[in-house]
Amino acid sequence: MLYREAGQFKTTYSADMAIFPIRQDRVALILLLLFAFIGVPVMATFHIWPLGSDYMLRAILIPFLILALAAIGVNILVGYCGQISLGSGAFMAIGAYSAYKFSTGVHLPLAWLGTALAIPPLPVLPSILLGGLMAAVVGILFGIPSLRIKGLYLAVATLAAQFFFDWVFIRVKWFTNYAPSGSVSAPELNFFGLTVNTSIERYLLCLIFVTLFAFVAKNLVRGNLGRQWMAIRDMDIAAELMGIRPFYAKLTAFAVSSFMVGVAGALWAFVYLGAWEPLAFDINRSFQLLFMVIIGGLGSILGSFLGAAFILILPIMLDQVPHAIGVPISVETVSHLVFIVTGALICYLLIVEPHGFAKLWSIGKEKLRLWPYPY
Amino acid sequence: MKADVKPKPVIAGQGVDAGEVLLAVQNVSLSFGGVRAIRNVSFDIRKGEIRAIIGPNGAGKTSMLNVINGFYHPQEGVITYKGRQRSAMRPHIAASQGIARTFQNVALFKGMSTLDNIMTGRTLKMRRGLLAHALHFGPAKREEIRHRAAVEHIIDFLEIAHIRKAPVGKLPYGLQKRVELGRALAMEPELLLLDEPMAGMNLEEKQDMSRFILTVRDAFNTTIALIEHDMGVVMDLSDRVVVLDYGQKIADGTPAEVQGNQAVIDAYLGVAH
Ligand SMILES: Nc1ncnc2c1ncn2[C@@H]1O[C@H](COP(=O)(O)OP(=O)(O)O)[C@@H](O)[C@H]1O
Ligand SMILES: [Mg+2]
Repeated sequence: MLYREAGQFKTTYSADMAIFPIRQDRVALILLLLFAFIGVPVMATFHIWPLGSDYMLRAILIPFLILALAAIGVNILVGYCGQISLGSGAFMAIGAYSAYKFSTGVHLPLAWLGTALAIPPLPVLPSILLGGLMAAVVGILFGIPSLRIKGLYLAVATLAAQFFFDWVFIRVKWFTNYAPSGSVSAPELNFFGLTVNTSIERYLLCLIFVTLFAFVAKNLVRGNLGRQWMAIRDMDIAAELMGIRPFYAKLTAFAVSSFMVGVAGALWAFVYLGAWEPLAFDINRSFQLLFMVIIGGLGSILGSFLGAAFILILPIMLDQVPHAIGVPISVETVSHLVFIVTGALICYLLIVEPHGFAKLWSIGKEKLRLWPYPY
Repeated sequence: MKADVKPKPVIAGQGVDAGEVLLAVQNVSLSFGGVRAIRNVSFDIRKGEIRAIIGPNGAGKTSMLNVINGFYHPQEGVITYKGRQRSAMRPHIAASQGIARTFQNVALFKGMSTLDNIMTGRTLKMRRGLLAHALHFGPAKREEIRHRAAVEHIIDFLEIAHIRKAPVGKLPYGLQKRVELGRALAMEPELLLLDEPMAGMNLEEKQDMSRFILTVRDAFNTTIALIEHDMGVVMDLSDRVVVLDYGQKIADGTPAEVQGNQAVIDAYLGVAH
């Protein structure tokens, strides 16, 4: 009787279309948000377990939030629109380096025009958003081939984007403001006069971004545009015969996805890393994001969070649990185990439950709804 | 469903030449490499009629529908729709001109619910863009509710309210066919192309589907082109029938005329050519 929608009759389409139509889901979400926005900072301030140390925020929650945002972006493209991408890392890099350039001032000599493009240094927030916008523009450009090629071939094209931008950010010194080491550091995180310094502040900043974008994503996928994406994913020929333009549907998916991934990249660089090198956004990052989406659930916003949590927490668990029970294992063994477990899980999910953890979660809810009756 | 419900034109009995021509196919030929799927076929579809297209398997019926909605481009011939000669076009343009269709092998969006599938039929009628949808209140929400109401009418009409939220991939075949009809109806088409809407159905399901097709035509004056193998259904539903065999038109007329035609009987009995 805890999880029932019986008795909750919807008398308007508006109520039925609400973002979380079932009351228990709504309550759970509000509680979760309250905990995230108030509980966590309070616990961290007063060193209450498990947030007793800075480590939990700095090394787990902040990367979790940022990667969840990136995973939502990837899920829009891969899970909702069915366009496979192996270039997410590159789009994070584009977001990060563009935000860096905007925050330090852009000076682009256009010699052949006899002029130069000069933009003064911008505050952090516009820099981050413009970073996302640049990623969206590049995303649209790299999305154009998707109008002609599908599946494996598209994956190869996005892989090419990954390697191309890896190369660009290492070789084109302009992007790193000619830093000799190739490593650059984030500007001071100043928002409307407030400086974001401590881990709690950084955590809250990421939380605000992720919450806003998660709602935007949820709104998009349950509306007309989201239906167009899913229609293209499920049966592109029929979609076109319904009047859906593949050009518009695919490129909006590339744009929205790359924007979110780009913003996540800027946050990763500015808020989590502080100082970074192109290596932070290499092909491993792309695979990590793709695995998050597959494990969490293709075509599910909730799944993006579950997948990000799983991929981040798995290595920590594998590191801590054997320690706790008195069989410490070496760092290498842990990293090998991570590969084995992740790989096995992906095989299992792709074969048995293609919609990942999110689907298992909704099956669980379904069971709970009927409980204690078997049907 | 349709805002401008026009009164049904007088169709006195079957196959009279009432009504203007909505779509005319003239001397159309289509081949795939060496396979000549359609050979020099001409026929027309009049406003408000149910026009059956019949013929043995491989006769070119599905190819003909694909030509009409812009999915295949014929090598020869002209198609005139609503009085205008059409050039080669993309399917979504045909959709925007009011041509909807269902498929021989159900082509639903498997990962989406019945409701969402039918809602995609409203895509062309929805105007709000990306930013409005991102916020989902005000205009975008009102638009969504308006179209949801229209879709619920279709759901009621097709008697599929109980599967409204179910993912269509797991529905039985007969229901999938119904959802697919609903998706096409949501477009409020002027010309509805139905490719074997009753294939694989039992008698009761066929009767339901026949009833829906007739109601659609009568209530909304939708012009329907229907491919069907069940001759009983064709006789009952259609005003005129065109018969294809090996890509050629071998007969055209009222159901009664066509049924008595020797070439048609031969084609169905498999007489050698
Ligand atoms: N895309 C295609 N490529 C090659 N041949 C095709 C294609 N579509 C149809 N054909 C051929 O065209 C002929 C007519 O097919 P079709 O229109 O599906 O017949 P029907 O619907 O009357 O059974 C068949 O010989 C079929 O093999
Ligand atoms: Mg066919």
